[in-house]
Amino acid sequence: MDVYRRYSAYNRLLARGTSLAARHTDRGLEVSPTAEPRAHLRRLTYPRIAVYAGTGTSHSWLWFVELCERMGFYDLCFPDEREVAGGTLRSVDVLLVSGGDTFAVAEALGPRGAQGLEQFIRRGGLYIGSCAGAYLPLRSSKTPLHHFNYVGARITNLTDSLPQPRRMSRKFSTAYGCRFVFHPVREEVRIRTAATAPLRAGRSITAPLYGGPGLTIGDDAEPLAFYEGFTPRTLFLVDEAIARDTLIDRVAALRARLGQGCLVLMGPHLEHPSFPEANGLVADLLFWACSRVEPLQNARESRDAPCLRAGAHTGLLRDLRRELSNSRIVAAGLETIPLHWVIGAKVYEPEKFRVFLDAMWKRVRHLERMGFTAADTGEAEEMIRIGPQVTRLLRRIKTSADCGEDTSAPARDVLTRLHVWSTRFLNTYFRTLSLARGHTRVAFKAQDTGAPGRALETRESLNVRSVV
Amino acid sequence: MEYLSSDKILIVDLTASRTSEDEVNGDLVAERIGGAGLAKSLYEKYESDDPIVLSTGQLTGTLYPASSLGIISARSPRTGKLCHTPFTLTAGIELKYAGFDYVVIKGTSSNPVYLWIHDGVADIADASELWGRDVWNTTDFWRKNLGDDLIQTLVIGPAGETGSDWAQVCLNYWTGGDRFGIGKAFGNKKLKGVALRGMGLLEIADPEGFVDRCLNLLTSLKNGAAAGKQGIGPVCAAMGHPEIQDWLASLVHRHKACYNTPYAANTFVYLDEDPTIRTEPKTDEPGLLITEPYSLIGMHRLGLSAEQACRLLRSCARYGIDPVAVAELSEKAGTKDPKAIEEGFATLSGTPTLPGSGVFSPCTPLQPVFGDFGISGDPSGFHGWWERRQAVAYIFGIDPLFALMSPEITEGNLLELTNVGAELELSQETLDAVIADLME
Repeated sequence: MDVYRRYSAYNRLLARGTSLAARHTDRGLEVSPTAEPRAHLRRLTYPRIAVYAGTGTSHSWLWFVELCERMGFYDLCFPDEREVAGGTLRSVDVLLVSGGDTFAVAEALGPRGAQGLEQFIRRGGLYIGSCAGAYLPLRSSKTPLHHFNYVGARITNLTDSLPQPRRMSRKFSTAYGCRFVFHPVREEVRIRTAATAPLRAGRSITAPLYGGPGLTIGDDAEPLAFYEGFTPRTLFLVDEAIARDTLIDRVAALRARLGQGCLVLMGPHLEHPSFPEANGLVADLLFWACSRVEPLQNARESRDAPCLRAGAHTGLLRDLRRELSNSRIVAAGLETIPLHWVIGAKVYEPEKFRVFLDAMWKRVRHLERMGFTAADTGEAEEMIRIGPQVTRLLRRIKTSADCGEDTSAPARDVLTRLHVWSTRFLNTYFRTLSLARGHTRVAFKAQDTGAPGRALETRESLNVRSVV
Repeated sequence: MEYLSSDKILIVDLTASRTSEDEVNGDLVAERIGGAGLAKSLYEKYESDDPIVLSTGQLTGTLYPASSLGIISARSPRTGKLCHTPFTLTAGIELKYAGFDYVVIKGTSSNPVYLWIHDGVADIADASELWGRDVWNTTDFWRKNLGDDLIQTLVIGPAGETGSDWAQVCLNYWTGGDRFGIGKAFGNKKLKGVALRGMGLLEIADPEGFVDRCLNLLTSLKNGAAAGKQGIGPVCAAMGHPEIQDWLASLVHRHKACYNTPYAANTFVYLDEDPTIRTEPKTDEPGLLITEPYSLIGMHRLGLSAEQACRLLRSCARYGIDPVAVAELSEKAGTKDPKAIEEGFATLSGTPTLPGSGVFSPCTPLQPVFGDFGISGDPSGFHGWWERRQAVAYIFGIDPLFALMSPEITEGNLLELTNVGAELELSQETLDAVIADLME
């Protein structure tokens, strides 16, 4: 069965209260219905997942969003650094942190964010980090990474003296304190799974590497996968011999315990949407870590989900579609101009703008079909307000580029606003999707802003199930 | 309509400043097919509102060769009859990919407006700042302010705004196929124009079958009568004006084809820079794109040099006036000085010739071009053949000039590809009926 359909089916059952258990066999993770818990079985739970989208993240957190949607993980939120520091992680089971500028992420989270993160994991939470998200929790004395010293693995592509790049000199290395992280290859690599629950040992899987680490580990971590080799699609940024020495047989993914929770750190982007087998690994690890023999006492509050219908719903989507189209058109045109921007330690090209815009664009149609939007008027207004700002900034980039002027400032602004726009939109989208599919049980009130004075409707209010 | 279609009709009410949408009715497609055939039906439905209908053919925007056509259908201010005029290059496909197969523009705006149609969204925007600007300035304004150089525009200039009977709806920067004064119809509605851009997708019912057949046809077309020729010069020669090619040669920079059309019928001439130098031009627009043959032939008949003629054609494009009418009326008035002709745009008078029945724009040669269609005799007797050939092009969305070059494009394979790609069951009888209805 298609990997996405399989996990989507599990999640559909879990979200509607069916009891499923997981066990690790030599074939990997096996899931089956269970009437009652048994000592050797772990009960699966339908997790609440936070996908980190704060300062310093690039666009790849949207790959985690895509993975979650394909696999039926709809109970999602998208906190930024303020929300992490403010305690959002208290009500989630999983935190996904993808690529970006590691130092910028650490700087933005700061000591309060680091504290919130550590408490979350120790309490039983699962942290999955890929690329920058994998570098973040590694033990380091470098400011501001020193706030996050959770895992003692060593980075194999960290050096005092950079090798000679063969290509892509802009993306070949990143400063890491007084040293450098260099990227031996980009694009597709081959990894081999380890005999670590819940994985099947010896599976060979491809996944893309865009700057993530090779690792060596000590006793405080267990390997999940090793770099096995390269493929015809691998792009060597250094001599192949150096690339082999740096990566092959090194750890590509690891798991480390911290309190009652754990961290899964992945060098390659196993969450990339073009690699379904790799996505399946992520789902296996997620399910396994969220399953328990003994449930954790982690109460969760019920949440209200206000709802727009009829004219308010149609109007919101029409306005969203308008500005998404306007922005997409300009963004597509920018891709024909040789532009790039260095923001923090990352290099961005215009193509990145469309990753955000397309992530929203393709989901607007789904919202139209669902017939209502789980958003209040404030959220709707914010989504409508940000759109024209993004369009104006993109047009300014185009005009400035045509005149040969610097476009760094508006580009930075666009990325910031795209983060905000997409997180607001996706919060609304997944809330709506959850309600429409009957997954998350929340109370909601229907609002029709086009007809003031109409009585509010309420549905039966149910508490969200406690996480076990 | 699930395949080869955006399945949407946009209704624009300029009086109420409101837009709405309708679905493309499958029964209507089965009866009227598409393009001008279905546009006529929409025109008749909204006739009391004096509509202008933009349409695309069933095959517009697909891999069928020369599927570049968009159509404007409206009552011609010159003839008073319903007529159909083409827009090609990449504007025809842009309409379909912008999310609408058909656009009905009815009513009259109280203030100058333009339509911005993009990805299934239609905005009626204020054009007060643009009223009075020429075609080039307007297209530049839209592309700059909306943020994309690939935006396609149907736009009027001062000729349309001031109600000239020879006002054209121009295509981006260039005069085009409008011989019926539809530019005046736009101006009467205070409609400065339409900006189009879309990144939509078309579904094909049988993708492999459709693409294979299209590629086979393309192969035979590339080996056909037009092989080895390019530009507007050979077209003029086929019309009995071989002198045009040499006359124009020193200015020719390059040739350009409409979307997916295996003959580059549009010729770009340089006026302000050396056309032999193949580098980025120093000025934004150093020349002119010539998109049809009659304007060249007309200017040549005035005794102008190629450069004088092309500069005058460029002025026609900026002003948004039919250059064929300008040439013919100037010749009749005995005015041969380019400066005097240009200064007389606003006061041009007379009745230029409009060959054909007045249904399809006579912007294409009224005879076969290059290809052997198995007809013989005096070219002046080809009108019936020409009308049918144009009707077929306007129904299915095929470049109307290329339709005159390619006997390989047959009514049979147009029907077959439409049926394969759109999962329809159109018959020759249906096509005959639609053609007959168009010619009424």
